[in-house]
Amino acid sequence: MGYGRSDSYRVATTQDKDDRSPKKKKGAKDMDDLKKEVPITEHKMSIEEVCRKYQTDIVQGLTNAKAAEYLIRDGPNALTPPPTTPEWVKFCRQLFGGFSVLLWTGAILCFLAYAIQAATEDDPAGDNVSIVLTAVVVITGCFSYFQEAKSSKIMESFKNMVPQQALVIREGEKVQINAEEVVGGDLVEVKGGDRIPADIRVVSAHGCKVDNSSLTGESEPQSRSPDCTHDNPLETRNIAFFSTNCVEGTARGIVICTGDNTVMGRIATLTSGLETGKTPIAKEIEHFIHIITGVAVFLGLTFFILAIVLGYSWLEAVIFLIGIIVANVPEGLLATVTVCLTLTAKRMAKKNCLVKNLEAVETLGSTSTICSDKTGTLTQNRMTVAHMWFDNQIHEADTTEDQSGASFDKSSITWISLARVAALCNRAQFKAGQDQLPILKRDVAGDASESALLKCIELSCGSVRAMRDRNKKVAEIPFNSTNKYQLSVHETEDLNDNRYLLVMKGAPERVLECCSTILVQGKEQPLDEELKEAFQNAYMELGGLGERVLGFCHVLLPEDQYPKGFAFDTDDVNFQTKDLCFVGLMSMIDPPRAAVPDAVGKCRSAGIKVIMVTGDHPITAKAIAKGVGIISEGNETVEDIAARLNIPVSQVNPRDAKACVCHGTDLKDLSQDQMDDILRNHTEIVFARTSPQQKLIIVEGCQRLGAIVAVTGDGVNDSPALKKADIGVAMGISGSDVSKQAADMILLDDNFASIVTGVEEGRLIFDNLKKSIAYTLTSNIPEITPFLLFIIVNIPLPLGTITILCIDLGTDMVPAISLAYEAAESDIMKRQPRNPFRDKLVNERLISIAYGQIVIVCLNPHALGGFFAYFVILAENGFLPTTLVGIRLNWDDRSCNDLEDTYGQQWTYEQRKIVEFTCHTAFFVSIVVVQWADVIICKTRRNSVFQQGMRNKILIFGLFEETALAAFLSYCPGMDVALRMYPLKPSWWFCAFPYSFLIFVYDEVRKLLIRRNPGGWVERETYY
Amino acid sequence: MQANKDSDGGWRTFVWNSEKKEFLGRTGSSWLKIFLFYVIFYGCLAGIFIGTIQALLLTLSNYKPTYQDRVAPPGLSHTPRSEKSEIAFSLSDASSYKKYTDAMTKFLKKYDDDKQTDQMKFEDCGGKCQLMPERFLKCRDTVSSTPWLIVKLNRIVNFSEGGRPPMNNSVEEFLLPKLKPNLIPIFCKNKREEDADKIGEIKFFGLGEGFPLQYYPYYGKLLHPQYLQPLVAIQFNNLTLNEELRIECKVFGENIGYSEKDRYQGRFDVKFNIAS
Repeated sequence: MGYGRSDSYRVATTQDKDDRSPKKKKGAKDMDDLKKEVPITEHKMSIEEVCRKYQTDIVQGLTNAKAAEYLIRDGPNALTPPPTTPEWVKFCRQLFGGFSVLLWTGAILCFLAYAIQAATEDDPAGDNVSIVLTAVVVITGCFSYFQEAKSSKIMESFKNMVPQQALVIREGEKVQINAEEVVGGDLVEVKGGDRIPADIRVVSAHGCKVDNSSLTGESEPQSRSPDCTHDNPLETRNIAFFSTNCVEGTARGIVICTGDNTVMGRIATLTSGLETGKTPIAKEIEHFIHIITGVAVFLGLTFFILAIVLGYSWLEAVIFLIGIIVANVPEGLLATVTVCLTLTAKRMAKKNCLVKNLEAVETLGSTSTICSDKTGTLTQNRMTVAHMWFDNQIHEADTTEDQSGASFDKSSITWISLARVAALCNRAQFKAGQDQLPILKRDVAGDASESALLKCIELSCGSVRAMRDRNKKVAEIPFNSTNKYQLSVHETEDLNDNRYLLVMKGAPERVLECCSTILVQGKEQPLDEELKEAFQNAYMELGGLGERVLGFCHVLLPEDQYPKGFAFDTDDVNFQTKDLCFVGLMSMIDPPRAAVPDAVGKCRSAGIKVIMVTGDHPITAKAIAKGVGIISEGNETVEDIAARLNIPVSQVNPRDAKACVCHGTDLKDLSQDQMDDILRNHTEIVFARTSPQQKLIIVEGCQRLGAIVAVTGDGVNDSPALKKADIGVAMGISGSDVSKQAADMILLDDNFASIVTGVEEGRLIFDNLKKSIAYTLTSNIPEITPFLLFIIVNIPLPLGTITILCIDLGTDMVPAISLAYEAAESDIMKRQPRNPFRDKLVNERLISIAYGQIVIVCLNPHALGGFFAYFVILAENGFLPTTLVGIRLNWDDRSCNDLEDTYGQQWTYEQRKIVEFTCHTAFFVSIVVVQWADVIICKTRRNSVFQQGMRNKILIFGLFEETALAAFLSYCPGMDVALRMYPLKPSWWFCAFPYSFLIFVYDEVRKLLIRRNPGGWVERETYY
Repeated sequence: MQANKDSDGGWRTFVWNSEKKEFLGRTGSSWLKIFLFYVIFYGCLAGIFIGTIQALLLTLSNYKPTYQDRVAPPGLSHTPRSEKSEIAFSLSDASSYKKYTDAMTKFLKKYDDDKQTDQMKFEDCGGKCQLMPERFLKCRDTVSSTPWLIVKLNRIVNFSEGGRPPMNNSVEEFLLPKLKPNLIPIFCKNKREEDADKIGEIKFFGLGEGFPLQYYPYYGKLLHPQYLQPLVAIQFNNLTLNEELRIECKVFGENIGYSEKDRYQGRFDVKFNIAS
């Protein structure tokens, strides 16, 4: 199967190379290809076959001519950077996206109208509106652009991973060349500390170990040898991967893939090529913009046509059109949303969640599935001794990060022996200069299990170094895969005792084979069947916990056979390795972080499904999943049920099992439907042994089921999934740069629990954005009604374009933003995540409440308050409401300088215009006054203000700021010229007070009914 | 495409869902409920609005507006009105000035002698109510050869225009001979220096060369239903033809003020462009 697929892949790539130009058509196919498993087959070929395939020589390497030919054919061994959008395009996108197009239209129409006026009149009115509109668009555009400018640079960090130099053998000579010039078939040599220059098939190795953590996320060094040990190219020992590190030893290999064709290159291309969908909040905002734009254009055109029909001139109709568009568009809203999100992002950063992409703030709140990597996120990413078996009993060691867990009986002689074996038969040691650090925080040179043992012994028995000094090492056989054990011979502590102590550790069954006795309660006992069974049970039990188990044994070599100074030969073993005394077992695991089980529980109560996706083994993965609650207590997998009922797995109804542990190799063969089936029918899922491509497939599967997926991960292997996820969460400490680049958010403390904080903040901001939008919309929509009345009833214009902008961009901004600081109304972590299809940021109820008010023209408290102020001012100046109707034509006639009012007084044009602009100011002030009540109403959607309290200081500041700004605009000298706003008499400020009070009472009653009668008619019709 | 079809179908069912008997996503009773809700809601709002407007009307006086600071000092307006402050016609083309003569005829109609005969209504002004001197009739007829403007001072309730302007530098020398007691003088001159010798003779007709004070103050529509304000007719006898001339007319008095922005407050300027 592997062959077939790889062949087809190779065909595909060669075709691709032949005709690079029709890239677009190929694009989709390429992505599908990339999502498939790595097509390497060379590991299964013999070295000769590989040589033949690449026409290279195992000793001489490629000829220079051949290398040059391949270099031309395959291109340099480097990752292709993704096509980047030029900065100016991004800027233009900001400048012309959203409402901007509408506002540009307004500004241009306005300018045209002005130009026509200027051409026909001596002294046209100033063209403030088009200037202001342009300024608004440009400023908000720049603002968003700079927010966006911190965009990701994924490929750059991949670039850094390309090794600079490589040692190749060409025509029999070793040459140091630039890594970019390495080609397929090259014979390369790597040694400890090097980065692997390309994907290579190992042909010879000497103690070579590589660290594949950048690829798999597991940092355990793996040995490399020429033998094929596994069908899967990612698992086999004879392939070393591009940009991984060689930790120790040396190796020689033939390059089989270069550049973008390498495993890493494929991940890089896959990551950068992934189309990330829009974030949920971006979709919401787009939805909202569509509604508003639609309504604005519809109303604008309707009234444009109406104005023409009613006999207005083209110019006037265009001015109406602009007025309606400007009134309809909440100019300040997008900026408000951005500011709200920024504020939340800042708040989250304080809680160790660094948000890279602003919109991701909310995404986390709407997340319904979290796919979490295991290592480093759920676990502490350090092996720790978890259990020990000695004296025929399992003892539990303390695995907590702060050593607060339970301890065991350390007085047993067996334990002392076990500790001695573990300390002596151990090559790990603490790095120098860390004496003041707590033991668990110290860095260790050595592999993970030995470090775990070292730390465990150091913690419970004191300095290991001192112990090793007392027991000098005389000989040692290091661990190898044939022996599966490691042994060393030491002098004893007792100076009078000249015997040598042989200590051994290794795979438990191998160690047991070497033993004939066992130490129980300090006494050697013959290893009978009963004890062997006890050993087996303990071994099974610990293994079943997903732990890595090591066996320990020792023996004091008899002095007569091995006198002092005996020359131990480790190559040709000349000493006893049988009939040893078994001491005990120790098992290690990478333990879960302390805060994780709680966090997983919180996620669950918040309705979020937590899926574990790991590269680790299924048993370990399952054990950790159980430990942290991803598989909750009492839930069984299909295999568990089968084992319990003692029936074959095939007879178990998969629907009975809520939990599921899925192996990566099984995943490969699943169809999309089967995949969906697993994701849908199991609430608790663990995916083990997954490759980067499979992680991506899992994420896509979840998204296909409509979930909003968060992915956490730290390795390069996670980056495609991180990118594809609705929100990718990378680890700040252990995470690779690539994963951080691909992610939208970074957990600075690597702690899964921080995600919960993020979810909470995300949900809160969604609620609060709803409030902000409700607040802005309820004042925005009434701004249209003055125009409608102006056109239909022919009264002087009650509210001008400039004043509308003053409301939208001036007084409304701070209160709307202050709503982002509002505390949650109820426990937001107890409810289900929002359904992106149903729970909209702006739902039809909000729209209908906002627009319903235009249907019955002007009958809403905001507009009524404004109109009342308008009528008061005109009446007190001599124009009673009855006179006003139909007065518009004469009112706006410049040549009419003796317009009569109700009392018979005659007004010049300029005199009555000042009154009109005073009315605009008063209308504006009235809206501000009604907005006082509105912002208090919008604080809560369900609770009464009296329950919620007025603890939001920013909101109180917002109230004062709004009022101060309104007063400033009205009374500041020069405003009459600049914005045509005039000072108000103090009494006019109070006109809107009754309306302000009225909506407050109305809304309190509405909320009371909603609370009294949950799910009732009032809630269904008016709850937004 | 598939998605398109789906949304199309969705739209149609949204308008009328025969399964659930829903029109625009609501059933009949749901529509009724929401309709009732809005009727009551808007009814209340409308009621409250009307209530507040009534309350407002209660606070207003029938005779005098609450504030007059915006309407005073009074404007000075003229008939016929200028369009974009320009009066332009051609002497040879009667249709080009017809709108001006028509406007004047219409304006002077309420000043016709026969309408001023009702002594009941004009009792307190005695004989002085003859606001329509015969000479005015001329302006109706001779507008073609010599342009006329009829000028009035805007009415303001209970506003007492002063007759004698403060005698300081602000009053130009040329006014002194025109100053009479109980008269608000009006004077016109060229706006631009270079037009000084092009505007020729300007004649003022009326009850004296200005607005007699006995006609002020005005007591408002309710107390003064038939009030006619005094007029001054201005005849431009010898305007240079075929040239744009700007002329400014100004009244002078104690309560008369001028404003930079308002070109009709206490003064006006008008552009004549008369073609031969």
